[in-house]
Amino acid sequence: MNIRSIRFRLIVWYASLCLVLVFGFGTYSCWRLDHYLKLSLAQALEHRADRIGATLLANISKTGEAYVRDEIKTLYAPELNDRFVRVTRLDGRVIYVSGAPNNRSFDPEQVASANLHLETAATNEEKLSGGTKLLIASLPFAVNGQKYVVEVGSAEDGLDRVLNGFVATLLFSLPILGIVGVIGGYGLIEQALDPVKKIITTAREITPKDLSKRLPVVDTGDAIEDLSKTLNQMIARLEESFQASNRFTSDASHELRTPLTIIRGELDTLLLDPHLTDSMRATLESLQEESERLGKIVEGLLSLSRLDAGAGQMECVRFDLAELVATTAEQMCLLAEDKKISVKLQTSQPVFVEGDKSRLKQVVVNLLDNGIKYAAEGGKVEVSVTAQQDYALFEVTDNGPGIRAEALPYVFDRFYRAVEMRGEGIEGAGLGLPIVKAICTAHGGTVIASSIQGSGCRLTVKLPLSRKKVDVRLI
Amino acid sequence: MRILLVEDEEKVARFVSVGLKAERFAIDHAPDGKTGLLFARMNSYDLLVVDLMLPDMSGTEVIAKVRRSNEQVPIIVLTARDAIDDKVRNFEAGADDYLTKPFAFAELLVRIKALMRRGPVNRSNVLKIADLEIDRVSHQVTRGGISIKLTSKEYGLLEYLAASAGRVLSRTMIIEHVWDQSFEGFTNIVDVYIRQLRTKIDEPFDKKLIHTVRSVGYSLNEEEP
Repeated sequence: MNIRSIRFRLIVWYASLCLVLVFGFGTYSCWRLDHYLKLSLAQALEHRADRIGATLLANISKTGEAYVRDEIKTLYAPELNDRFVRVTRLDGRVIYVSGAPNNRSFDPEQVASANLHLETAATNEEKLSGGTKLLIASLPFAVNGQKYVVEVGSAEDGLDRVLNGFVATLLFSLPILGIVGVIGGYGLIEQALDPVKKIITTAREITPKDLSKRLPVVDTGDAIEDLSKTLNQMIARLEESFQASNRFTSDASHELRTPLTIIRGELDTLLLDPHLTDSMRATLESLQEESERLGKIVEGLLSLSRLDAGAGQMECVRFDLAELVATTAEQMCLLAEDKKISVKLQTSQPVFVEGDKSRLKQVVVNLLDNGIKYAAEGGKVEVSVTAQQDYALFEVTDNGPGIRAEALPYVFDRFYRAVEMRGEGIEGAGLGLPIVKAICTAHGGTVIASSIQGSGCRLTVKLPLSRKKVDVRLI
Repeated sequence: MRILLVEDEEKVARFVSVGLKAERFAIDHAPDGKTGLLFARMNSYDLLVVDLMLPDMSGTEVIAKVRRSNEQVPIIVLTARDAIDDKVRNFEAGADDYLTKPFAFAELLVRIKALMRRGPVNRSNVLKIADLEIDRVSHQVTRGGISIKLTSKEYGLLEYLAASAGRVLSRTMIIEHVWDQSFEGFTNIVDVYIRQLRTKIDEPFDKKLIHTVRSVGYSLNEEEP
């Protein structure tokens, strides 16, 4: 499970919130329940004390203490009801005290003597040794100038049993509520993410080749609707800029090529004239060479601008780069032999990549040509294709003069040519390596140059390996 | 030989016309697609040169309309666009050859001549030029009875030259047929391979068969072109 996912985090939040709420509510309920139970017990005890005072003590002068004792025993049976009852006269004489209760929850002997200075009804909690708590309601009574204190009490363990039961129920329900929280949270998030999934599915279908599609706008009036609208605006802008740059490349091709055609054509026709003097002919031929060079530069710039504009509008097929390099090297080997350069090819197994085969062939041609151009006469060019982790490595190493360390960062810049390469009769417009770089970048790859001056130069192309197992088109 | 040139750029039309007239072709020039179609219907031409960007309709449309009534006439497309899609679309419409601007006039001329003489293309299994014999099935090459060993690229080049024996082939045409478009601009590769081929085919013998045509390309022929 991905613990960074929004789904996981929301579920954890949701479940924790459920648990915290239940816990908080439970604690509060326990507290309130405890309070309420004590209050109602105290009221019941007070009521009983009041009844004893009002019915029995009121007539004590007529009936006598013994009668009162008997009546309390008969009417209230404190021992049977697990109650504590005590009637004390102001002078400290205990008129009646109940015996040990049936359930032995407390020992009446341990209860401290009554507070004889009591003016109004009071409830107090008496802690007996052994941890038993006794809730006692005390009421003062004045009968014919004589003052009595009636105390009625009960052990609190009954209340504790009710509370413990309540807490146990709560604890038992906590994990269930937690699970319900997780399931509920999962369902809610799935529902919330549903429009996002729809957006993703459609967004996958939108490629630079087809930017006409738009994402579904979910009518939720919130961030999701906003997201799809904003993305749609972005796609529209992308489509517009793709169209604009395509139009530019197409227009630029026409506008640049037409005058070049005319210049070359006029020069060609002039050169057909048999009456030209030698110097005129030489000048015209020089012009012709320059116009050809200009033509090559224009072609190079146009391919770069096409790559810049529509990197995504390329073919994408799966093919063996090692095989492509091998066949291209074979097609070019005579160029090397012509300079007495040996081309050493190292490929052992197929290395599958995905991309525009003809453009990647351009990369191979340009780099091989580069290596052959710069290798020393009678030297060698080493070519290798290997697979490393998740990328294909294509390397061309020559044993030429190498490139100065200061020049290395610029060899892929347009029109850059290391000073020492100029004027050595090596042709080129300075666009070969920039084109290589643009094609590699368009394929999600990189190209780097490394060099040891005086002992050669190595160009390394890294392309992502094809992740497809089988080419669907071949089936 | 009469050629129709459909081209809206006046200056391009002018040098093409001048050049072709110097080569003794009769040229009609149409500045737009409508005129071009009208000319093509009224007259009978041996070849059409059509520019793709015309003011009133696309050159592709012109080609498709011409092809409906005339299946035979060879058509060369001139264009400043060189996307693969464009090429495919025009070949489908019925073009026979494709020349990207800027082009050398000599290149256009070579292609026009190649198309006009297209007639009987040599499709036989054994090509014979003087005492040179090329077996297209077994890829065996002999000259004067002596077997000559060639690499596959050298063989491809020789077969292309021999199948069009007597015609001048430009370096670009050779690149297009024997290599592929990745090598466009690498015309020196043709020179290197021709030199290699000459050491095997021509040098050991008195009579030279491979001829250089200055500033254009090469030709394989018994006589100099």
